[in-house]
Amino acid sequence: MVGSERDTSIIGPDDPILVTGATGFIGSRLVENLLGRGFRNLRCFARPSSHVATLDALAGRHRGARIQLVKGNLLSREDCAVATRDVAVIFHLAVGGGKSFPEAFMNSVITTRNLLEASLRETCLRRFVNISSFAVYSNTQKPRWRLLDESCPVETRPALRGEAYCFAKVKQDELVTEYGRRFGIPYVIVRPGYVYGPGHEEISARVGIGTFGVFLHLGGWNTLPFTYVDNCAEAIALAGLKKGVEGKVFNVVDDELPSSRRFLRLYKQNVRRFASIGVPRVVSYAVCCLWEMYSKWSDEQLPPVFNRRRWHAYWKKTRYSNERTKAQLGWTPKVSMEEGFRRYFESCQARARHA
Amino acid sequence: MLRVAIVGCGKIADAHASQIQRISGCEIVGVCDSEPLMARQLYERFAVKRYFGDLSDLLNDARPDVVHITTPPESHFDIARSCLERGCHVYVEKPLTLHAEEAQILVALANERGLKLTVGHDDQFSHVARRMRSLVQSGYLGGRPVHMESHFGHELEDSAYARALLADKQHWVRRLPGKLLHNVISHGIARIAEFLSSDAPQVIAYGFVSPLLRGMGEEEIVDELRVIICEDERTTAYFTFSSQMRPSIHQFRIYGPKNGLFLDQDQETLIRLRGGRFKSYLEKFIPPVIFAEQHLGNVMTNVRGFLARDFHMRSGMRYLSESFYRSIREGSPVPIPYREILLTARIMDAIFDQLDTRRSPVISKSAARDQTRAYHAASVRQNERATPDSSTASASVGSSRPRGLGRCPGEGEVV
Repeated sequence: MVGSERDTSIIGPDDPILVTGATGFIGSRLVENLLGRGFRNLRCFARPSSHVATLDALAGRHRGARIQLVKGNLLSREDCAVATRDVAVIFHLAVGGGKSFPEAFMNSVITTRNLLEASLRETCLRRFVNISSFAVYSNTQKPRWRLLDESCPVETRPALRGEAYCFAKVKQDELVTEYGRRFGIPYVIVRPGYVYGPGHEEISARVGIGTFGVFLHLGGWNTLPFTYVDNCAEAIALAGLKKGVEGKVFNVVDDELPSSRRFLRLYKQNVRRFASIGVPRVVSYAVCCLWEMYSKWSDEQLPPVFNRRRWHAYWKKTRYSNERTKAQLGWTPKVSMEEGFRRYFESCQARARHA
Repeated sequence: MLRVAIVGCGKIADAHASQIQRISGCEIVGVCDSEPLMARQLYERFAVKRYFGDLSDLLNDARPDVVHITTPPESHFDIARSCLERGCHVYVEKPLTLHAEEAQILVALANERGLKLTVGHDDQFSHVARRMRSLVQSGYLGGRPVHMESHFGHELEDSAYARALLADKQHWVRRLPGKLLHNVISHGIARIAEFLSSDAPQVIAYGFVSPLLRGMGEEEIVDELRVIICEDERTTAYFTFSSQMRPSIHQFRIYGPKNGLFLDQDQETLIRLRGGRFKSYLEKFIPPVIFAEQHLGNVMTNVRGFLARDFHMRSGMRYLSESFYRSIREGSPVPIPYREILLTARIMDAIFDQLDTRRSPVISKSAARDQTRAYHAASVRQNERATPDSSTASASVGSSRPRGLGRCPGEGEVV
């Protein structure tokens, strides 16, 4: 820890830090970031089935640090009690899996509730960092080209998005806010855009979908709210450490955001060629409207997975801001978009070779 | 208006809530889960009047006529019994209970109280299953079934459920007597049970952990199962459960003395297998054309259903629920006869008993044979007593371990 950071950090290098989802895509980068900042007492919570090779490698590189691996299930209150004991900062990154609403809810909201309940018993907790998502923003009422930032409204009826992940994340944020208000939990909410990088090679649905056998390019000239995984981990780390930001929300997107068309062109040039059909925005909106109407008319014979709310959230032309995160957390994206893409495409190529 | 409640607000409860809302003349008056947040999320997404974190509160305050139980199977018996004792009709998700004795007790209790009970074997009420039943009832097979084959595939690799199960050594599925099998095979077994006439068929089961799971360090989750069911040396059936077989199918074949039928649940197709043969080379050319015509007919039937907005993924559940509610309102027979429910439970018990026996290294062949004979005798006695409306019979069944069905002599060696 450098001197200036020590002055602005809410904890010291030996205070215990809990990272849930520590073996995951972002979690492992966050652990690396925290170790790089000189924090020496990390508790990493992971599922019993998680691969811990990355953490082992990090432990090998940071001999002086104490990296405690706790394997368990956040659905277990006992496991949560063990995980949160005496911790000063909790970074809650564990992502709820499951495509159905109850599964996603259980793995996001119930787990978060258990963690919050357990942390209520810990008097030394200084910060609870809740990792949310851009998926929670409604984006419905804003005209094109309006800015999406932290002041924008969250989905008020998230179930109507037809997307379990969105529903669970909205409910998770509500729960964290409620615990902050009722019990004084010092929370911060971080909402990353689409996090890309080695280890997450899928193409974002904001670019398009391959559901119907051919890749439908829905993004057009839209700006993509991308953030490189290391940049995102940096922002999350700062959100957990910086003084005076309790109760705030921070969106995380990089600078020099690409358009969907540019990203797709680069992907095809660097990873693999495939056929895609560009779908004009008016057409994608019309399809979403019709799908939604048919779903309602047919009593959900087709589930409402395509609907207007989803179109607004993912395929509407929107601008994004990272001003608050830069100004209040002192964050800057250290990995440029160009460098991030280079690493990402290399990783995609390697994965394609091993497939 | 029939007042309906749902207990257990996990994944399958969503399907129940959706289907119940499509049925006229009923309303969901309450949902309940021991985790109140889970109850609340269901309440928020569906038009439900109230949510509860306690079963007693639900029964006292919401006063449902019917309770759908969608909790994990180990709690089915206690919850169903509580609901029946409080005067509610009960729809229990499959499997009905962990053991046949418990199923027997519930059936007896329902009869004693003048209430109705059913189990979520909704695949038997899909469009295609109903078409098959009509054909069988019309005498298409030409007599009682000679042989049946039920295939039930279950892909593990891409399933979040399977990942959770394999990763978690404390997962609730591992606490079931038949573990993974217990939670999934009843659909496939119930298909066979529907067409058996005896209450005590012989059951021979062979199960093992697939090489895939063994390679993942898994030793207790049996994911490959083969079963032979034999009824008085007249009707036989094979049941196959597999996580590794590709394609992963859900199919049923039934052969009579005259004709046969082939049902594909996933594709919702029903094919008539005619018993006669064409002469000489005609047998090589005409039957494929007939099959092609039948497949095309299935396509048209499915498309018509889709266009008529009557082809939902869980249409069987809706039909079963609707039929169950009708039986409550009109006092007509339940959609799944109790005999069939109990037979399914007994066959499952027999399968799991044999898998247990096989895994126990100390059991000798002679002991296995003795045990087999004891099971057979117990089963025969049990079936002599076990009339569905006899509460005294149920009580004695509850205490008559070991449970199970009669099996072929020497099956201990086979397993």
